[in-house]
Amino acid sequence: MVPVLLDLITTAAILYIVSSGLLLVFGVMKLINFAHGGLMTLGGYAAVMATAMGLNPWIGIPLAAIFGGIVGLGMERVVVRSLYNRPLDAILATWGLSIIIGQIITLVFDRGVHFAEPPIRGVINILGEPYSTYRLILTALALLLGLGLTAALRGTSLGLSTRAVIMNEDLARGLGINSGLVRSITFTLGSGLAAVAGALITPLSSVDPNMGVAWLISAFMLVLVSGSSLFSLAVASVVLGGAQVVVSNYFGSVLGGMTIAVLAAVILRIRPQGFSYE
Amino acid sequence: MTEPVLAVSGLSSGYGQATVIRNLDLEIGRGEIVAMVGKNGMGKSTLLKSIMGYLPKFSGSVSMAQHAISDSRPHQIARLGVAYVPQEKALFQDLTVEENICLAMRGSASWDETKATIARCFPFLLQRLQQKAGTLSGGEQKMLLMARSLSVGAKVLLIDEISEGMQPSIISNLVKIIKTERDRSGLGVLLVEQNIPFTRAVSDRYVLLDKGEISGSGNTRDPDTHEKIAAHISL
Amino acid sequence: MSNANVNELGSSSLQRPQVRPLTRMMIVASIALIGVGAAPFFMDAYSVNVLVRSMIYAAIALSVDILWGYLGVLTFGQSAFFAVGAYATALVFTYGGFSAEYAFAALLIGIAVAVALAGLVAFLAFWHGASALYASVITLVLPIIVTQLLFSGGTYTGSSSGLTGFDTIPLSSEAWFWAVGVWLVVLTTVAWMYTRSDAGRLLTAIRENEQRCKYLGLNTSNIKAVIFLICAAIGAIAGWMYANYTMVVAPEIAGFTFGTELLIWVALGGRGTLFGPVIGTIIIDYASAHLQGDFPFVWKLAIGIVFVSVIVALPRGILPLVSNAANWLRGRIGIAQPQQYSQLQLRQASRSGRNIIGFESRGPALVVRGVEKRFGSLEVLSGIDFEATYGEIVSLVGPNGAGKTTLMTCIADGSKRSGGRISIAGHDIAHRPPEECVRLGVGRKFQMANVFDSLTVGECLQIARARLDPLSKWQKSGVCNLPPSAMHVVRATGLHSDLNVPAQVLSHGKKQALELAMVLALEPKVVLLDEPTAGLTKAERTLIGTILTELARTEQLCILLVEHDLDFVREISSRVIVLHQGRIVLNGSVDEVVNSELVKSVYAGSGH
Repeated sequence: MVPVLLDLITTAAILYIVSSGLLLVFGVMKLINFAHGGLMTLGGYAAVMATAMGLNPWIGIPLAAIFGGIVGLGMERVVVRSLYNRPLDAILATWGLSIIIGQIITLVFDRGVHFAEPPIRGVINILGEPYSTYRLILTALALLLGLGLTAALRGTSLGLSTRAVIMNEDLARGLGINSGLVRSITFTLGSGLAAVAGALITPLSSVDPNMGVAWLISAFMLVLVSGSSLFSLAVASVVLGGAQVVVSNYFGSVLGGMTIAVLAAVILRIRPQGFSYE
Repeated sequence: MTEPVLAVSGLSSGYGQATVIRNLDLEIGRGEIVAMVGKNGMGKSTLLKSIMGYLPKFSGSVSMAQHAISDSRPHQIARLGVAYVPQEKALFQDLTVEENICLAMRGSASWDETKATIARCFPFLLQRLQQKAGTLSGGEQKMLLMARSLSVGAKVLLIDEISEGMQPSIISNLVKIIKTERDRSGLGVLLVEQNIPFTRAVSDRYVLLDKGEISGSGNTRDPDTHEKIAAHISL
Repeated sequence: MSNANVNELGSSSLQRPQVRPLTRMMIVASIALIGVGAAPFFMDAYSVNVLVRSMIYAAIALSVDILWGYLGVLTFGQSAFFAVGAYATALVFTYGGFSAEYAFAALLIGIAVAVALAGLVAFLAFWHGASALYASVITLVLPIIVTQLLFSGGTYTGSSSGLTGFDTIPLSSEAWFWAVGVWLVVLTTVAWMYTRSDAGRLLTAIRENEQRCKYLGLNTSNIKAVIFLICAAIGAIAGWMYANYTMVVAPEIAGFTFGTELLIWVALGGRGTLFGPVIGTIIIDYASAHLQGDFPFVWKLAIGIVFVSVIVALPRGILPLVSNAANWLRGRIGIAQPQQYSQLQLRQASRSGRNIIGFESRGPALVVRGVEKRFGSLEVLSGIDFEATYGEIVSLVGPNGAGKTTLMTCIADGSKRSGGRISIAGHDIAHRPPEECVRLGVGRKFQMANVFDSLTVGECLQIARARLDPLSKWQKSGVCNLPPSAMHVVRATGLHSDLNVPAQVLSHGKKQALELAMVLALEPKVVLLDEPTAGLTKAERTLIGTILTELARTEQLCILLVEHDLDFVREISSRVIVLHQGRIVLNGSVDEVVNSELVKSVYAGSGH
């Protein structure tokens, strides 16, 4: 029972880390960034590079943030900006960007599986059961990330402007807020977060040019049921991630693999606004 | 008239292919309060949205104290000192009173000065800074809108039917505040209105708008103002 | 009025094109068939092999184009139906062995399962009120589920390595080439005929403005579902061919990645062009097979870059670019063809009788009793009670936010009100959706002119008649039957000379008139008009006013009007209802309302 419970919590935490960048972009820009998976892959390879250069594995994480941020900024400037009024086309174009990222990575590395040195190994005992230390650290990081993002949105003037753009972009513009700049910053931040998430999950998943795709679908579903609220995202991560763990444990990993997608589709059918309370 | 703070000349504008405002000329002087009166659907809100840069200008120009703002975007126009109060969804309901005001403040503005303005005009708001704007009553929300507009040091105020659904007592309070602030800072105000008593109490000059064109105007103190406006907006 | 009194408008003055499009398509199809027949004699075995697969992919790309390019449903899940067809075949042959009967059975099973699955997806994705994004999400979930099910089949479905080594229809590569090629040409031709037919234009209408279609009495959810099912069947047939031909099936063919690859092919070829996706798929897949060996990753990278560029800069894909270039070239050498729009004739519809109310049997046309509307705790309408009879023009006036448009919505869509009853011509609208309210006799014109921009004026009118005159599925009938009222509007506003012009180039006033004609084409008993004169010039207003008064008198229509232009209201109304803060404050004659102190105070803002 205890391992299942720990799995449930840590899985929810990992899903939260993976989805938060996508949620920020969706909240502010009302578009789905299908390059999120590609950016995660990029982050994964940042960790691989850190390992290859013999650096401390933790260095891989800021490295990923820088890579993701720069690539994200470029994508927003060149491609995404012209698709604000075409949300379905934006999905396709960002998917295309994801393919481009994946192919460039394949050209630089190869299509095989790579490994990154995990920042930490080993297990600790919780209630007499050994459990992966790294997964517990990820849980703490997810909490920090959630609190940090919330503090940034609530406590800074950029955060306030961002929330204003999320709530009513026209009104925000009329008050002198440069919503184009807010969008640009948000996309850069969201992309950086995606890459960081990719670097953070390298100890749990193999690193290959397609590693982001599976995560993209889960993150996409979680964001759709969460609307634009970081808190709803936490709830959705626990409920859907928890269901995935339970189903995988008792009915096999195959059914577990489609739990999030199916549940999200059903939730949205019954309640189009999902977990957000508006 | 003194040098205009806002000048609109030959403006035509509308939605898609529908022209709502036709070849309109209008000037607001420094320290002048102008009321634009017309029935629903005559293009009053369209005019304000077009001045603010939300709607495309088909032809004509808009300038603000020498700056041409015909091609500027809404946030640039706001930063030049135009405070716009739309008729609907003018506040962030889920943000606090303080946050609503802070959003409108730019760079150099100091919170102390802002607080002083609020204390002078709307002292009750200082007690409610941490309250969500959506929990204020209708009249209090209008006060907050005014507080937000006045405390950012705007040069021009564009106000869309703020008197709608307001108690007469609040209206008279509002009239006093707008006039006092105008005298203090030389603010130019363009009000879009249908409320005759409010229009007569607050404005220096009125302009009648009919199907996107100016069909009449006058000094508000003229004796025939009530009749003219009433004839213009009644059935 | 009888059918003999035929009124023909339009067409005669316009020049007829020299070659009819259908004839041209038949020539193209014949050339394509000859090409398919001859190609294997001029190509090496490897190319023939690859092209069979490319043509199978082209068939599914075609189905994706119908869904996405025409109907506007961005689907990520067409791969799932392909996989269903392929796996049904592989499973039947693996566990039952090959025989002609089994091959046929496998085809039927594949189609049946795919259609059943598509029915489930359509039920989830196209319910009343579902967003386009939600439909896409459901089509995204589909391949995930099918892939997981294939994995969970274990050794039975071959899990991650799939199934192989089963016997299939013993045909040579060349024979497969001919079979698949002929099928692809026939499929493309049929799809071309359908999308160019009157019924096919309906798909474009739904993509552009589904709400307007519903308010024209068309059950768009059902139409979308039927198209989706047909496309699923096409996918399953393609899957059957694929399994028979390649003798290998693997879970990747069900997946999201393949589903999006189909979208890429369609986007590059040109969505909504049929030929673009078919030719694009064949070229890209064929080129991939040749180039992937030498430049595996660079090739995919190039595809990615071109794809992103096309989505951003050329949303219509590459084919339209090619055909534009061809037209330009033709213009340069002086054999430019005149722009061809279909020729259309308007005819006066013979009255069906079902929409004429006998003078003796008429109660009120519209009865509204105690209608309420709340959004959460906000009460927008309360205790709305009134009646309106045939031949009356009732104007709804009141300040902004009084609830006028909300009341219109409640009358035209039974699911919108929070309380109270509404009946049209004696029938309770209950909770009927808009398309069924139209059946009872409601016609609604929206505030902003709400027509189908990329359709011609004639096509807009045909779509408006689709509920009463079923549309031809195979051709352009070239005829649109209109009732006298709609015909009157078309003629009086000069729309009859614009029949073959796309609606988007009409002036604002003509668009408003077109929408009015479309609403009248429904042969409604109660017409709801939301600001029909907004943005019109003085002359246009007068014309619309005259038309409305005539229609009320001669056609005995009950017209309910929301209007801000009070002069207009005064000129045409037989009665005025004043709404203020969600309640009726006055219901009386024009004079009563004009002279009412209460109304004056409501408008002057001092009535609080």
